[in-house]
Amino acid sequence: MPTAQIEKKPRKTSGSPYPLWFFLPAGVIYGVLFLVPTFASLYFSLTRWNLFNSTFIGFENFLSFVQEPFLIKGLINTVIFAVSTALLKTIIGLALGILLTSNIRMRGLLRTIAFFPILVSTIGIGITFAVMMHPTRGIINVSLELIGIDGPGWLTDPTLALYSVAFVEVWRGVGLASVIFIAGLVSIPRDYYEAARIDGATKWQQFKRITLPLVQPATATVMILSFVYGLRSFELIWTMTKGGPGFSSDVIASVIYKQYQAGFYGLSTAGNVILFILIAVMVMPLVAYFNRREVDL
Amino acid sequence: MKQLRPAILGCITLVVFCVIFVVPFFFIALQAVKDRQGSSLLNFSWPSETQLWQNLVDVVQARDYQLLLAYFNSTVITVFSVTGLVIFAAMVGYVLQRRPSKWNKYVNFAVLAGLMIPPAVVPTIWLLQQIGLFKTIHGMILIEIAYNLSFSILLYRAFIATVPRDLDEAARIDGAKPLQLFFRVILPLLKPVTVTNIVVQSIAIFNDFTNPLYYLPGKDNVTVQLTLYNFQSQFSTQYHLLFMNILLVTIPPLIVFIFFNKQIVEGMTAGAVKG
Amino acid sequence: MSGLELKKVCKSYGAVEVIKDLSLQIESGEFVVFVGPSGCGKSTLLRMIAGLEDCSGGTVEIGGEDVTDAEPSDRGIAMVFQSYALYPHMSVRDNIGFGLSLAKTPKAEMNARVEEAAKILQLTDYLDRKPKALSGGQRQRVAIGRAIVRNPKVFLFDEPLSNLDAALRAKMRLELTELHANLNVTMVYVTHDQVEAMTMADKIVVLNKGVIEQVGKPMDLYNNPATAFVAGFIGSPQMNLLEGAAARKLGAEIYGIRPEHIDISRESGLWRSTVRQIERLGNDAILYLDVEDVGSLTVTTDGQTDVVIGDMLFATPQPQNEHRFPTIAR
Repeated sequence: MPTAQIEKKPRKTSGSPYPLWFFLPAGVIYGVLFLVPTFASLYFSLTRWNLFNSTFIGFENFLSFVQEPFLIKGLINTVIFAVSTALLKTIIGLALGILLTSNIRMRGLLRTIAFFPILVSTIGIGITFAVMMHPTRGIINVSLELIGIDGPGWLTDPTLALYSVAFVEVWRGVGLASVIFIAGLVSIPRDYYEAARIDGATKWQQFKRITLPLVQPATATVMILSFVYGLRSFELIWTMTKGGPGFSSDVIASVIYKQYQAGFYGLSTAGNVILFILIAVMVMPLVAYFNRREVDL
Repeated sequence: MKQLRPAILGCITLVVFCVIFVVPFFFIALQAVKDRQGSSLLNFSWPSETQLWQNLVDVVQARDYQLLLAYFNSTVITVFSVTGLVIFAAMVGYVLQRRPSKWNKYVNFAVLAGLMIPPAVVPTIWLLQQIGLFKTIHGMILIEIAYNLSFSILLYRAFIATVPRDLDEAARIDGAKPLQLFFRVILPLLKPVTVTNIVVQSIAIFNDFTNPLYYLPGKDNVTVQLTLYNFQSQFSTQYHLLFMNILLVTIPPLIVFIFFNKQIVEGMTAGAVKG
Repeated sequence: MSGLELKKVCKSYGAVEVIKDLSLQIESGEFVVFVGPSGCGKSTLLRMIAGLEDCSGGTVEIGGEDVTDAEPSDRGIAMVFQSYALYPHMSVRDNIGFGLSLAKTPKAEMNARVEEAAKILQLTDYLDRKPKALSGGQRQRVAIGRAIVRNPKVFLFDEPLSNLDAALRAKMRLELTELHANLNVTMVYVTHDQVEAMTMADKIVVLNKGVIEQVGKPMDLYNNPATAFVAGFIGSPQMNLLEGAAARKLGAEIYGIRPEHIDISRESGLWRSTVRQIERLGNDAILYLDVEDVGSLTVTTDGQTDVVIGDMLFATPQPQNEHRFPTIAR
């Protein structure tokens, strides 16, 4: 055998085997297309702006959001929509998660069925449900009529429209929530339940004292995820009601689009900033709360 | 009785799930094969005359074969942005996990921000116009990469933590340079998480509506979700065509789901739990 | 083929010094074993030789060349990892040949060298398998094959046998020793197992807390340990080390006597003791004695002994085998 094929002169170490420039391609795309507009939005939200020129007008756009009734409505609706969908997804998701980890036949099939809607185009779902919720011909009200109930105008009644859309959003996302809960639930060792049963704990006590605290990371994930998603929601609302009737089901994301279409770019961008602030203000405490709880465990 | 309980519970749940989750899809399929009159009733009555093929042809031909163009555009956008996402996110996740540096906290923060912060729409349009990428397919591809990077990075970082460092060191002793180390040793080992990434992200991007709506207006740039949106107004009296369109747009994710069901569920939960 | 020299190397992580001003000369063709308890810095030292860790100070020379700042692949070394670190997605052939393919070695030469290494290690029949499909011993051999094919000046082994079961470990010990004899290259081997050190080494380097306690041939360390630490580390069962009054009475800060160097008798002797526990290993028996004013004492005796727990015995150290050390703390 020839000896020592490496005859190169030792050179100064060229650097880490994990070069920092690996961050570069992703960093450039993210920096230019996400960070720059985000920072620019802070300025443009303070202007009257039509893409050709912008005039600095201070906080006027933001004032509009707390003064103009249709913008206030959008703000409130966003919070209602996010809170209600997040809570329902969490509660129903946990219930389904427990059901689908219990001793039950066809578990795999059932999980798949519940999970599937999250993969289907939101637009398709929106259109389908809008048709099914048609006040006179929609199959929901037609079915209700069969059992003698006069169904409401799910999407035409201003007091109901937002909740109808929220219902569809829960329908769409609850499968993912339950799958996350299932992952959390199966990671709880069976021993705890067996020990609790030997100690004489009832089913309810087992749920309250073992399941609930130990499934907490999954709860946090579902809550935060659904909450952020709910605050940013646009597609479903836009295809089902376009914010209507009137602006009764408008949310910030649909306001942003409407103002953009109408050419009020400054106002639209202010909506973006408000949404950003809303997420920061409402999600950060949630994250902090769950982190603290997790340390306690 | 004891053995019967799981079966009974299973059957009851199955019926309930079918009513809640499957009926809407059944509804779509049913309307899609009806004729114009039948579908305008919007009910579950069995179609007097099925015309699956006729509806299919009508939808495809509508608006100058717009659907075919949309399929082409959506496929191009999905393929290229997912390719970019996989390579760039794997690179970031890898260095982020392997090398403790003062940059890590900024990168981690950026990842989190990317998940949480809603993109600033109009300033992005303004920026895209400045650099000549507004209303272009490649602009759209870059946007999809930028918006979906965070999720992919999280998936990769978590998985790379399970690849032993000994392999890196063995490869270095074997004389691998950084690029060789990454592309010949590490990247092949990331195959499971790469499959997850491809599947989850391609479904997300194929189904994306909001971003093409803002950044890719124009008849020639239409994507599948936009055709749906456009047809919604056009077909308001032709429900059978509208639903045929929904059916056609739903089929690709359905096929992907049938083949990669496990990876999708794993990826979505893993990404979510670790994030 | 060539030796290795460390000159005043040191390594610190922040304020923590892992290796302190360590100098060591390894001759060409020697089989050197670094041994010490976990955390003594032996693996770090090996990785510094490999170039996987930077030196905070000092120089590393391989074959007379200063390689302190060289890339691992430019040092003329090869390394076998505790986990073997086989590339799971490559066949045995590609694993062994990976380094050659990176160096753009012509295909024919590469194949020849891989085949040759496989022949030495009896891996020829497994060349197209993935590591997953191999047994522990075979994986170990692939890892060694990957090292051999590089024709290194120095082989580095980082606890390569600790993932194997006892029987296989004994077999691989023998194989490695034979491999060393056949290849006649310098090998540096890290282990925490003093049996591996004693059986395989030409030269043992005992490390403790980042400094060398003693360097020497295995039997030199056994017969003449320089410090109480080495005395306690080399030899099994452990040497009895007495401190305090009992040791001072025998004229030392620390007094050491190996279990096999204590004679027992039922009639008379230096230490009066009772048998607390007996471990019978077949050929030998290990007695644990309680001695008044001295404490616990371990004694090796004939496996057929009729001593039972609770017996009263006299124990006497063999004078020619006594060890006296100044103090244990360093």
